[in-house]
Amino acid sequence: MSTGLRELVRFHLTGDGGGDDRREESGLRSALLAPYRDLSVLRYDFPLVLVERDDDGAIVRSLSSVVDGVLREIAPTGAEGERLRSHYLRLETAMRVLLSEGVEATLSELWGLAERKLLSESDETSAELLRDSLSRPGGAPRVDGEVIDCDDDTPARVFEHAWRAVQQERSRIALAEIDELLLKLSGILEADFQKSAEARDPKSLAGSMGDHVGDTFDFEAMSRVLRTVSSESSLSGSRRERIRSAISVLESQRFFEPAAEPVRDPGRAAAHSFVFDSCTRAWEIFRERIPEMVELVKAIGIAELELDNRYRESEHDALFDRFDETSLAPEDLALFPSYLVRLHDKDCEGSEKARCIEALSSGLPLKILVQMSDILGGPALANGQFTLGARGLQLAGMAVGMNGSFVLQSASSNLYQVRDRILRGLSYEGPALFSIFTGSVENAPGLPPYLEAASAMQSRAFPAFAYDPAAGPDWAARLDVAGNPQAEVDWPVHSFSYEDADLQRVSEEVAFTFVDFAASDKRYARHFAPVPPGDWNESLIPASEYLELADAEALDKVPYVSMVNGDDVLQKLVVDQQLIRAARRCSEMWRALQELGGIHNSHALNLLERERDVWEREKERELEELRERAVPAPASVAIQPADAIPAPAVEPEPEERSADEPYIETPRCTTCDECTELNGRMFAYDENKQAHIVDPSAGTYRELVEAAEACQVCIIHPGKPRNSDEPGLDELIRRAEPFN
Amino acid sequence: MVMSVSAPRCLQWSDREDYELEDYEAEVPRWCTGCGDLAILAAVQRLCRDEQLPLENLVFVSGIGCSSRFPHYMKTYGFHGLHGRALPVAEGIKLKRPDLHVFVNTGDGDCCSIGAAHWLHAIRYNMDMTVMLHDNEIYGLTKKQASPTSPKGLKSNTTPRGAYLEGLNPLATTLGVANVSFVAQAVDWAPAHLYEIISQAFHHKGLSFIRIVQRCPEFLPAHFDSFMQDPERLLLLTHEDGIPATPDLSRAYPQREVHDPSDINRAREIASLTDRIPIGILYRNEAAVCYEDVVGSDTLSTPKTVRTNLEAELDKFTVWPPSEEREGRG
Repeated sequence: MSTGLRELVRFHLTGDGGGDDRREESGLRSALLAPYRDLSVLRYDFPLVLVERDDDGAIVRSLSSVVDGVLREIAPTGAEGERLRSHYLRLETAMRVLLSEGVEATLSELWGLAERKLLSESDETSAELLRDSLSRPGGAPRVDGEVIDCDDDTPARVFEHAWRAVQQERSRIALAEIDELLLKLSGILEADFQKSAEARDPKSLAGSMGDHVGDTFDFEAMSRVLRTVSSESSLSGSRRERIRSAISVLESQRFFEPAAEPVRDPGRAAAHSFVFDSCTRAWEIFRERIPEMVELVKAIGIAELELDNRYRESEHDALFDRFDETSLAPEDLALFPSYLVRLHDKDCEGSEKARCIEALSSGLPLKILVQMSDILGGPALANGQFTLGARGLQLAGMAVGMNGSFVLQSASSNLYQVRDRILRGLSYEGPALFSIFTGSVENAPGLPPYLEAASAMQSRAFPAFAYDPAAGPDWAARLDVAGNPQAEVDWPVHSFSYEDADLQRVSEEVAFTFVDFAASDKRYARHFAPVPPGDWNESLIPASEYLELADAEALDKVPYVSMVNGDDVLQKLVVDQQLIRAARRCSEMWRALQELGGIHNSHALNLLERERDVWEREKERELEELRERAVPAPASVAIQPADAIPAPAVEPEPEERSADEPYIETPRCTTCDECTELNGRMFAYDENKQAHIVDPSAGTYRELVEAAEACQVCIIHPGKPRNSDEPGLDELIRRAEPFN
Repeated sequence: MVMSVSAPRCLQWSDREDYELEDYEAEVPRWCTGCGDLAILAAVQRLCRDEQLPLENLVFVSGIGCSSRFPHYMKTYGFHGLHGRALPVAEGIKLKRPDLHVFVNTGDGDCCSIGAAHWLHAIRYNMDMTVMLHDNEIYGLTKKQASPTSPKGLKSNTTPRGAYLEGLNPLATTLGVANVSFVAQAVDWAPAHLYEIISQAFHHKGLSFIRIVQRCPEFLPAHFDSFMQDPERLLLLTHEDGIPATPDLSRAYPQREVHDPSDINRAREIASLTDRIPIGILYRNEAAVCYEDVVGSDTLSTPKTVRTNLEAELDKFTVWPPSEEREGRG
């Protein structure tokens, strides 16, 4: 072992001899990130356009998808289309550059700025062509909204935008319902008023007809007539009061506000606000508003009952008298706007975190956005237990454990991909926690926030997952980890190509591990030591391979990561044992998450194994039996052809009646009144309004026979006469014959 | 999302009405004894009782004729309207009050003669309601004149030498209209089957049209006797998506055909049968568009919005004095 290598092994095992001095070479980044120096020339999910909710329900679009949408409309195939595509893609790049220079604008403004910039930079001929392309009909974006890039502020802006869209929809529905309740309640009072003496007064009657009637109508006479009409059905005083009180509460509510109210009633109190920067504050305000919520829920309940005419004072008065905050059901809470709380991990103290947990376990509709800029933690870690990665995952993990909260964890680079889940979480009836990693320029100065966030997700340091309690009853339906890159494996693997010293292309598969993510954080430089190319040998193995080795196998190996410097020269850096331990821990956490998400689930695998054993034994036994019996195959069984039309199941015939007893085939009765009119004591209708014989002795045999003759559907059977003294029996028995 | 709070449901068990069939009965029907309308009335009242439909949520609309007296006999909302205009009135009610269950009772004259134009368009508009055509093939209320569905040769006061033309076929006509969504046929003398058809029609979303072949014992006493006395002349349509073949039905009606209600071509063939009366569901299409669903507006018609919109509309035709023009139009 060369001296240099010996030093590296010592560094790996003890962490001594590395340090910032050995990584002075600035601009080092993971080799896999080498191609992404200038993001403005790449087409990817960012920048995002925060659009108004459209028919598709989208609230955010990527700039590329907007440009693609325009091109789909206007660019034909062929040379002409190619020119248009090339010009619009240049326009898109110009917009990205403007944004990276700090321009803040809406899409339409940015589009115009980029257009002018491109035209001013082009010579006359190409400007002419460019102008022609960009001024095509349909060549402008169909959507508009703020354009944002991926930075510290991105999650807050996206979530606030999405939250507003959800709340506006909820407000719109609630206001429509409240307006309808108000309209109908007012209708009841109005109808009641019309029955009053005041409404029947000649003046009031004349007023209701308008001015044009003049003297052609005698309202005095009308008033006199109307006063003779009874007003018995007018409302009771308590009902009128109850309806008025409900109207007053519905009219003065402050929870819902029209999206754009043209003129605000100056006498009306301002609507409530629902966006906070502190969980404690949101919680306090929520508590303060509970009495108002109770009043509104009561008013809606009373209104619904009144409108259905189902309010019973004997029962509902008591119910509404004792109606308080404990009576609020989850569906009542779901009517109200949710509270958006925006937190930042660096400002988030212990008490605030505790309140967060409390809020999430309470089931209240708080939507908590926690933005993480640092998941690795500060250098103080070097002295104590190495708990890298656990810091950022703590809150989301606890929230999932609470079972009733919607939880979304994702890097900010992935926000566009999880846009539907964001909406689901914000629309979810209960609490929601959104834990979003944004990256930090401070800790990783060499990387744009987008790349740092994406690295956190790639490296499993901050895996994406969503836990949606509304998605189903079990974990399989609720927890989704599918959004992670190559979710089936420990570390995602990508191909990496470079040029060696002989100028030959070399391609290899490289895994992106937790170590790669930590490598871009300047605070962790001391955990890496560069290996001079002269010392590169077989003992150096990639960190991802090293992590798979058992302790004994790893003894003579040294893990490294590939990185590139500012000039894109490939470097190998040895990783110290401490960071390797952290990577193992990260990998374990990822596997646990995989299991919860149904990937390599140990319970399922065990069960599969057991079932396979049982199945194999069963098959073996069957084979054994067959071998032992070794008898000819049984004779084939004739198969009955199935009828084309399945015959209905045959029901036993109804029991035979005595031919002497009169009866009616009741189910066939057509309610024609013939028999019941003939003798209502003998024949009557049952609960289905079909005839039966209630009392054969309630009439004469003659009536029975006449009923049988009159019956339209011939279902009355008169039987034999009960009274042998009845006159004319011989003839009646003869007439009864066809019906018996 | 539809707003609904928990409180009204709290005591739902205690304020629930138990409706009996008698609760739906209003005055004693003035139809002749033996009239098929009585069977239809009983079936509808049974349906209301079995579904426990609140009286105030029901409305029966009719035109003119014997059958159109129907609303008088239901203790619910009703509208006994103009001849032939039951359907437009019912459509207006449904548009304004989609929460009500709307039933239409109309006769062969009311629907197929004076109201024929409304009938066709109502089928196409497919608004959610249950339409019962009481078809006795004669005008009973005015004492025996030929109706559009009277068969060729039927002697009546207006056709003493027998009807000259073939009768109009309400099933075939309905099945020819675009956007038709439910067509069924029943006979009044098979009450269990009639009930089943009305029940399925009630649960159908869209306009369900039932032609009910109905006896008039007063003016055509033996008109349907051949069908009543010979069960072979009824063709029972059965299907798992229609009326299933129960043992009772199968025993009563030996002539059966398994007919898939989604098959409109076969439905049209069945509708055109002349030797037998097909009974069952001929056609059903749950996907047909309902007019009220596509024209519905989100805007609530409060007195204020009505006034504002009306003012805006009238302002378009207002001739403004020159001095007020600017302010008035602003």
